[in-house]
Amino acid sequence: MAKTGLGCEPAVGSLTPSKKREYKVTNRLHEGKRPLYAIAFNFVDSRYFDVFATVGGNRVTVYRCLEGGLIAVLQAYIDEDKDESFYTLSWACDIDGTPFLVAGGSNGIIRVINTGTEKIHKSFVGHGDSINEIRTQSLKPSLVVSASKDESVRLWNIHTGICILIFAGAGGHRNEVLSVDFHPSDIYRIASCGMDNTVKIWSMKEFWQYVERSFTWTDLPSKFPTKYVQFPVFIASVHSNYVDCNRWLGDFVLSKSVDNEIVLWEPKTREQNPGEGAVDILQKYPVPECDIWFIKFSCDFHFNSAAIGNREGKIFVWELQCSPPVLIARLSHVQCKSPIRQTAMSFDGSTILSCCEDGSIWRWDAIQ
Amino acid sequence: MPGLPLVDHETATLGCSCNRSRTSGQMCRQQSRGCLTAEEELAAEESLSIYCKPVELYNILQRRAIRSPSFLQRCLRYKILAKRKKRIQVTISIPGSMNPELQPQNIFPLYLVVARPIADIALGEHAAVFGVYRTYFLSSFCEYGKEPEASFVIPEIRKLSTSCGANLNLILVSIGKLSFTAAKIEGNCFWGKIPIESLYSSLNKCVTLSLGHRAEMISTVDMHPSNLKPSFLDQDKCLNFRNQNVDSVSSFKIHVSLCAQEVGAKERSPYDSFSYNDIPPSTLPHIIRLRSGNVLFNYRYYNNRLQKTEVTEDFSCPFCLVQCASFKGLRYHLCACHDLFNFEFWVTEEYQAVNVSVRTDLSRSEALLEGVDPRLQTFYFCSKFRRRIRLQNCTHNVNHMRPHVLELDSPEAAMEGSEDGYLQKGGVSSSSRPISYPGLGAAAHKSMFGEAQLLPIMHRSESYGSENHNIADFTDRIASSPDTATFCVAAAQASTSNEYAHALSGSSLLPSTMLQFARTRRLSVERADPRSRALLTKRQFFHSHRAQPMALAQVFSDHDSEDEVDDDIVDFEDRRMLDDFVDVTEDEKQIMHLWNSFVRKQRVLADGHIPWACEAFTQLHGQDLIQAPALLWCWRLFMVKLWNHSLLDARTMNNCNIILEKYQKESLDHKPN
Repeated sequence: MAKTGLGCEPAVGSLTPSKKREYKVTNRLHEGKRPLYAIAFNFVDSRYFDVFATVGGNRVTVYRCLEGGLIAVLQAYIDEDKDESFYTLSWACDIDGTPFLVAGGSNGIIRVINTGTEKIHKSFVGHGDSINEIRTQSLKPSLVVSASKDESVRLWNIHTGICILIFAGAGGHRNEVLSVDFHPSDIYRIASCGMDNTVKIWSMKEFWQYVERSFTWTDLPSKFPTKYVQFPVFIASVHSNYVDCNRWLGDFVLSKSVDNEIVLWEPKTREQNPGEGAVDILQKYPVPECDIWFIKFSCDFHFNSAAIGNREGKIFVWELQCSPPVLIARLSHVQCKSPIRQTAMSFDGSTILSCCEDGSIWRWDAIQ
Repeated sequence: MPGLPLVDHETATLGCSCNRSRTSGQMCRQQSRGCLTAEEELAAEESLSIYCKPVELYNILQRRAIRSPSFLQRCLRYKILAKRKKRIQVTISIPGSMNPELQPQNIFPLYLVVARPIADIALGEHAAVFGVYRTYFLSSFCEYGKEPEASFVIPEIRKLSTSCGANLNLILVSIGKLSFTAAKIEGNCFWGKIPIESLYSSLNKCVTLSLGHRAEMISTVDMHPSNLKPSFLDQDKCLNFRNQNVDSVSSFKIHVSLCAQEVGAKERSPYDSFSYNDIPPSTLPHIIRLRSGNVLFNYRYYNNRLQKTEVTEDFSCPFCLVQCASFKGLRYHLCACHDLFNFEFWVTEEYQAVNVSVRTDLSRSEALLEGVDPRLQTFYFCSKFRRRIRLQNCTHNVNHMRPHVLELDSPEAAMEGSEDGYLQKGGVSSSSRPISYPGLGAAAHKSMFGEAQLLPIMHRSESYGSENHNIADFTDRIASSPDTATFCVAAAQASTSNEYAHALSGSSLLPSTMLQFARTRRLSVERADPRSRALLTKRQFFHSHRAQPMALAQVFSDHDSEDEVDDDIVDFEDRRMLDDFVDVTEDEKQIMHLWNSFVRKQRVLADGHIPWACEAFTQLHGQDLIQAPALLWCWRLFMVKLWNHSLLDARTMNNCNIILEKYQKESLDHKPN
């Protein structure tokens, strides 16, 4: 655990909303009875910043946010396996810019949907168990990384369909991996966290030649020399329970456990001794009634603010980059009572979407 | 390899063999051979040559076994059992009708003791000491229905003639009292002995004993009064008689009935139940001995249309001349040791025979991949798969034996399906990998050939040298008897609900067994390969480490790199591990890294590998070490450490330094230029 000395206490945000920005419910729709586990705006392609997608059950649905709080359904994909339950999705694109939707769930099969042609582009098998999160490398949006219950993280090239690297082994996670994220500027770096209560930071600098080879690989994808990355460069024990969501904020890491708060901390790698390093906890963003696992937060494109739902259907919007943290707004509605698994903030943060366990999608728009 | 001279050789080898008709089915084939055209004759002889290769192999194996046998033949269970069956069971009883003058109360209870005189204890002329083996107890005369008798087993006849066997005595002890146990006989008594020599001489005259017949005889025993001392040697294991005055008045005679039979007489095969009625008694023992071990081998070739026949003696194997003691033992031996052939075994009253054919499925899978040198292939492939094949072969034979096993029941027929399944599985396994016999390349074939063919010839002259005439007679009779299959047919018909009953009841055994044989062979050869392929294509296979799906080409290719160490990654991890050390210089780290990766790649595992590894390492990295003196010193220091731990001897260290000096000189020579 991180040590806190005098003058080093983390700054804890106050729960009184600053009312800097106010949101109101503008739309609400029910997709079905099945819980929705993920919702995400397309940040990969600027033409489609208003397009978002949800997953729940064996269904992936693509919507568009229209003016005046309207939501239009664009596409819906039903997986051929009735028992599939998607847990996560991420937007990505081919090297020529075709928008892809990457979804994964209980079957452990990653489905890459070409939303341009409305066809399955590829299906990736390899994970031994369900997939808990998929993220896209924004600097190279045809690279995606997936976190799985099989205690591994895999890096995929969705253009060639190659499993490039597997982050698992001697230094890997010791339980389900729940969340993974690419560093926003350091293309080699990823952070993953999971049920072993740790956050691990991995570097693929030494393995980058394989990533590059994956783009030029013409042989069968299964013949690619997939490499194991066994040792992370940093292991942080920030939380004492499942860590179910982590995101980079610059070189800092935002992560949350089931302790009703998001923690912002700095990983301090020592030059001499990679592996276990020191952790400096900078700030804490309290989120009341957020004590169940698999609740994930989302940020706007510039990481100015983050939105997170809780067990009772409320949403807390935090201003991330000021100290001490400022609660922008607390969003609640009398009819929104079921746990919110995931939120989605639009490019500028003016629209917040939330997907609930009862299968409903709520749209909140900032009041101008 | 195949060719006419070779075939001629083979025929010469089987020179004494006969190729005569046995059944009507056989007759047909015989006729068909007569109709063969010249080309077909040629093809047939060529097909006979497929025997050469396996026979050579077995000759090589046999000669290896002479120097270092993999096991002792005499320890085989069937050999021990066969020996035990030759022992003689003797039953002794005292019929009341033969001893009318004796009063039962005077002589009974009577002890029968199997004992051996202990010679090295001198106790005077009136004394005798015996070491006891067994004690039996007779309480009264043998009457008609009731039979108080003692039966015991003595060694086989041949052993009885040796000094060891001849020493045995059967001792009758009559003691007035009944109150003590057999172990503690003492006091006044009458005793008499039947020396085993007399038993032997009378048994030896009885030739039919070896046919399982009982030999009965009457013996008279003189009973002398004596005083039996308490045993003094190994407690109860000794009888010590003190003879009293030898007095013809007090001694009496007992007539004893002896009945002898071989232990294994009850389990006799139909072959053994042959009656030798028309053979003169003088030659009978000889004929019996010869006949009982005679086994007929029919070598099938030319698609089983033709056959060569050979007879061996003493149940000996035609390939490696091992004597197998019994037909059952021969069966075990052939299945276990000569699995390049298919065998069918059958026994009738007339003869015991083995049909031999070369397993074509095996020889086909032996065909090697292009560019693969069989001598370079690792041996464990071979041994692993041979074991499986052997299993398969056994089931084959179980299949083939069925028609002549007596308990031909429907459950067995029901088993057939599962056996077939197994066969197919076996076929899959055998065809999936080529089988190679290391060291038996083409060169071996050429060089071994002459000797390989010689051995059977020698063998034959041994077996038939003196008895040529008799054997010829004998085989003649066998061959000409038209109803060989009668027994089998009867047995098969006895079990009603059997598929083989239909096949057999026609007229002869052979067509059905041949049919069945052909069927099973087709299963393992033709179906196995496409079947295994179909099985492999039916489902998705995955790489074991990265769980990526395998393409079909990868599934069928023999290459699998999953277990290989990824040297780049391990090197990288090793470097990172070394980087963690703070108290080690960069040069030391470099040497450590070089050494670690060398040791991993060369699989230096044991202490004994170290000297080699040091020399090889010096050779490999010498050039680089010369360039960087700091590294060179680290390496020397490391060698000194190894020497300190007695892992490296001074001579090797010297060698390493010579190598380094050589490099140094070279680099110096190079510089001025």
